[in-house]
Amino acid sequence: MAQHQQLHDKMNISLSLKSVAHLVAALFLFFICSMQLAAAKIFDAKSFTLDNGLEVIVVENPRVPVVTHMIWYKVGAADEQAGFSGMAHYLEHLLFKGTEKVVPGDFSKTVKQNGGNDNAFTSQDYTAYFQSIPSDHLEKMMEMETDRMLNAAPPPEHYASEKNVVLEERRQNTENDPRALFNEQMRSVMFPNHPYGTPVIGWMDEIKTYEWNDVKKFYDTWYAPNNAFLVVSGDVTVEEVKELAEKTYGRLSQKELPKRVRPVLPPSIAQTNLTLEHERIHQPAFQRGYLAQSYAQNREDALALDVLQEILSGGATTRFYKSLVVEKKLAISAGFSYSGNSKDYASAWVYGTPAQGVSLDTLKDAIEAELTNVIENGVSEQEVTNAITRIQDSAVFARDSLSGPAMIIGRSLTTGSSLEEIENWPDDIASITAKKVQDVAIKYLDINAPWHRAPVSGYLLPKEKEEATE
Amino acid sequence: MKIIIILFIALLFSFPVNAAEKFLNIQEVTSDSGLTAWLVEDHSLPIIAIQFSFLDAGAKNDPANKQGRAKLLSNMLDEGAGELDSQAFQKQLNDHSISLSFSNGRDHFNGNLKTLSRHKEKAFNLLRLALNSPRFDAEPLERMKQANISRIKSSLTNPNWIAARLQNDLVFNDHPYALNSGGTISSLTQLSSNDLKEFKDTFLKKDRLAVGITGDITIEEVKVFLDQVFNDLPSDKGSHQTKKSSPTPKLGHYLYEKDIPQTIVDINFPSFSRQDPDFYAALVFNHILGGGGFGSRLMEKAREDEGLTYGIYSSLSFLDEAQGFSISTSTQSDKVERMMQIIESEIALIKQDGVSEKELTDAKSYITGSLPLSLTSTSKIAGILASLQKNDRSIDYLDNYKKNIETVNANDIKRVASRILNEEKMTALFVGPHAPTTNINKLEALPNVE
Repeated sequence: MAQHQQLHDKMNISLSLKSVAHLVAALFLFFICSMQLAAAKIFDAKSFTLDNGLEVIVVENPRVPVVTHMIWYKVGAADEQAGFSGMAHYLEHLLFKGTEKVVPGDFSKTVKQNGGNDNAFTSQDYTAYFQSIPSDHLEKMMEMETDRMLNAAPPPEHYASEKNVVLEERRQNTENDPRALFNEQMRSVMFPNHPYGTPVIGWMDEIKTYEWNDVKKFYDTWYAPNNAFLVVSGDVTVEEVKELAEKTYGRLSQKELPKRVRPVLPPSIAQTNLTLEHERIHQPAFQRGYLAQSYAQNREDALALDVLQEILSGGATTRFYKSLVVEKKLAISAGFSYSGNSKDYASAWVYGTPAQGVSLDTLKDAIEAELTNVIENGVSEQEVTNAITRIQDSAVFARDSLSGPAMIIGRSLTTGSSLEEIENWPDDIASITAKKVQDVAIKYLDINAPWHRAPVSGYLLPKEKEEATE
Repeated sequence: MKIIIILFIALLFSFPVNAAEKFLNIQEVTSDSGLTAWLVEDHSLPIIAIQFSFLDAGAKNDPANKQGRAKLLSNMLDEGAGELDSQAFQKQLNDHSISLSFSNGRDHFNGNLKTLSRHKEKAFNLLRLALNSPRFDAEPLERMKQANISRIKSSLTNPNWIAARLQNDLVFNDHPYALNSGGTISSLTQLSSNDLKEFKDTFLKKDRLAVGITGDITIEEVKVFLDQVFNDLPSDKGSHQTKKSSPTPKLGHYLYEKDIPQTIVDINFPSFSRQDPDFYAALVFNHILGGGGFGSRLMEKAREDEGLTYGIYSSLSFLDEAQGFSISTSTQSDKVERMMQIIESEIALIKQDGVSEKELTDAKSYITGSLPLSLTSTSKIAGILASLQKNDRSIDYLDNYKKNIETVNANDIKRVASRILNEEKMTALFVGPHAPTTNINKLEALPNVE
């Protein structure tokens, strides 16, 4: 596939994993964002709800005798109190440090002894824990995860060392890379007064401050069967899962849950431009984020934005790459991305790296002209048809995986989609018209009439060498 | 494992013995003209995945002034072929949701095709064109060169990439592996379509192929596919042989100064090949020391006990002409000294005392038990089928894998630890603001980038 589809850090998905060993899982989520979502009854998922409110979804897939078992909590970094950034993620780390019954580290060791892999990740809107393992060990996994939902008891000697692990994680993934720091700043400008502007891993100086007591309150408040989805995918039937779930998770009591109150994002009329010149940057780049609505906020718009993404940026023959890279030779790479899986606001991004000798301003103007073209002239019926076909095909490929379906379903459910909407997604995508695609471009991407907030633009540049004056 | 069970039942009727032990039912298919592929038939999804390699056709053949040649070829094969120019070719792929890509390993040149079965004719034909009549037009060639140069410039921001470049140079030193398989800014600039054509004609030959296929395809269709796609390629006429040599690593401690908050640590020891009798013991050894992630000795000590790092991993690498064992991590720069103490004491400990029976049992049970997790998608299965052939494994390798792992004992681990962890043959690289020891060689330049 040559080099056209360089993976762009979309910046609007902030996952923070317990370990890079299973970075694969996070990468898969990135992949899903470019590939799109689920499929028309493509998973044919079965579901039921336990008496305590735990909703269970099963994707039966008997190809190989293994399962992925995932528990998704409807709580994430965006539910932290101001001043406690990174706490949801620190909690996720501490949940590997044992319960009253399990000693620190034994959770993962037990998974491994049984031939499985496990990990967890935290995002703005959800926190998920998972194991992929030969299916005859599913009950054991459910038993351990049931225990971990209410009985976490990490020994005090682990509080500080695990805090250091998180600080090292931040150094490794953010502090060591000026581009990551820049992206973090872009988001904080894009989402003022709203937690999406705060990184999932937290600000360095805040991570250092909170204690287990604070974290425990958060855990006791939000970790409950009626605030979670259980998703099981693999060589197991819904009847088997039901029986096991009643035996394990079924023992737990529900909790009274607080309302998830999120601050509003105030409107802004001023465009923001951020520039970073840094001696460690060698390749200039431009990116701009537009505020948009998510599937949870406006499903029809979100569907149309997904089709628009495919038309602008769905391969080497679609508009951005064809026009900016192949024909005009202004860019080495360029793209448009939208990810609608968030509980609150979503964002759409344009980005590009300029060709040799092309200024970032020239590239920015050319990217803007592509959007203006859609706003003024719309897109063709043929483009829409092709985009819809590709999206529907991608839904077939999504079945060719064990954990993939569980990832897609869990992520969509915890950000406000229903199982029916997930299953019908390819059909709903097919209902999007060229007119609707133009409408969402006008609504969200017109720089002269922005939706709710004016966009934020970022310019990354190498630091000019100081001229010697002596 | 319905694929396997159904095939197993089928096998009961066709083969008299031993079918019950099959882990994965791999069939060797030979076409009319004598080309072979390994196939796992699976009609549960309308998807076909194919991975193939041209053996010994990788970047190790690129001379210093043509670094990135195999890489650029991998970028260019799908940029126009036959009557189709770059955009026309890409449009055929895109409109039919066909994934076609090529990649250059150091040893081998690889291809990857994934398609819905309803578009298989189209997909096979595009692959045939890409391999037999690539155009190497000037426009996409320049575009791909610029994309690679831009990739290198972007990578320069990433200290792990810098560490990988330096480690490559230290460990492979005088061997072609030391060069940059992704090319350098100047070598990429100079490469021409003639270079690519010459490379393709010399190395992409049909008798160097290793092909793995899985999914919604039958034996008869595989035979047709093989002849249609590969049979018109030139042949080595059995004379394919490359001269092999071993690198002489630069030993000792090295620092590349970089003002970053975390220091990257990469430690390397020479190891041995897949054909060595200690191969399986080495897998278990690596898992226990640092390959297993959580629960491994290095992770327990450095992360779980002391919170020094987000991760520390060991790994074995098996290139054709060089094998190594490496430990890599990163930590806050003023903690590097403590990190090195931990690594050094764990090295001493496993050499001196070996491992416990419990560690051994747990490691073996993970390594054998998790094998089915490597079969959860068509791409993974096709990858395994191609790799087995690249690595010169027999078709029943996976069937015997469990048994071979289970025979490893504690003495084997101790022996392997002593064979690999020889401090006199260690290469340690630090990328960060300062070094943990005074006895260190400073690296000034980043080799094979500009």
